[in-house]
Amino acid sequence: MIIRLLSAALAAGFFAAAVVTGLELTLTSPLIVAAERYEQQDSPHQAAQALPIVLAHAGHDHAAPDAAPAWQPGPGLPRMAFTGLATLVGGVGYALLLGAVMLACGREPTPQVGLAFAVAGFASVALAPGLGLPPELPGSAAAPLAARQAWWVMTAAATGMGLYLITIRRALITILGGLVLIIVPHVVGAPQAPEAASELPAVLAAQFAARSLAISFVFWILIGLGFGWAWQAFARGTEPGAARA
Amino acid sequence: MPPVGRLEKFDMTTQTLAPVAAGTRSSERPVVIALAAMLGLGLLFMAGFSPAIAFHNAAHDFRHTQNFPCH
Repeated sequence: MIIRLLSAALAAGFFAAAVVTGLELTLTSPLIVAAERYEQQDSPHQAAQALPIVLAHAGHDHAAPDAAPAWQPGPGLPRMAFTGLATLVGGVGYALLLGAVMLACGREPTPQVGLAFAVAGFASVALAPGLGLPPELPGSAAAPLAARQAWWVMTAAATGMGLYLITIRRALITILGGLVLIIVPHVVGAPQAPEAASELPAVLAAQFAARSLAISFVFWILIGLGFGWAWQAFARGTEPGAARA
Repeated sequence: MPPVGRLEKFDMTTQTLAPVAAGTRSSERPVVIALAAMLGLGLLFMAGFSPAIAFHNAAHDFRHTQNFPCH
């Protein structure tokens, strides 16, 4: 069973990552590269004193002189390759989680079931966190990273749990509890960015947010369909008792 | 089914392998689910959250596009 689940997750992750890497490279990466030019113009003194992590966007020749240069993929092909690799790792990770959740809910993964769970996954990790923390380009003003990550994780977990209580448990009390879980993170509110003027054109940011959500949606749909299909395809040989050697 | 569990412990012969397999499939399930979930979370942490600069830089464009909080 573990072999079947791992194989299905790998297959779904590869399939989704292949398509989505193409989308990322054509739709969002050019916007990120364009935004990094504004980021570099933005207050150069900040780059020198801020966290080393900022160096990622500072370019090779723009790094703070006294800091050790952090490794980063070279521009062009290496950067695209690492984007693809990260998409693959993330896709397999999402597929594993999706498979685990489907099985934990007692659902036999098929393309249809995978699709339904994938929509819930998209709502939990892309849509709900995106309401409070819209997908942003490098160079946008933002609250501290740890606070945003914590809110993101809490919101994704609460939304996923809420959807489970509403769609699978389906009792009055769980539906109410689920609604509360989904709404509370937004009532509490995401960590807000300090009001700061950014050179970044609003149209770039808006385009990026829309494209990012669309790509996430495609990513999830493909992972769900792919996992359901692969789970069925890998049924022979790995399942009942026969191949336990 | 406790007798099957005992069989598994003390009598792991080829003849009993099939019933053991059938018996362990239901108890195998939670372990498999937990393993897959841990592995999935680990991969996602690496791709989306790891604060190590090398990971951040490698996965940078993916993180932004998939709306993981980034720098």
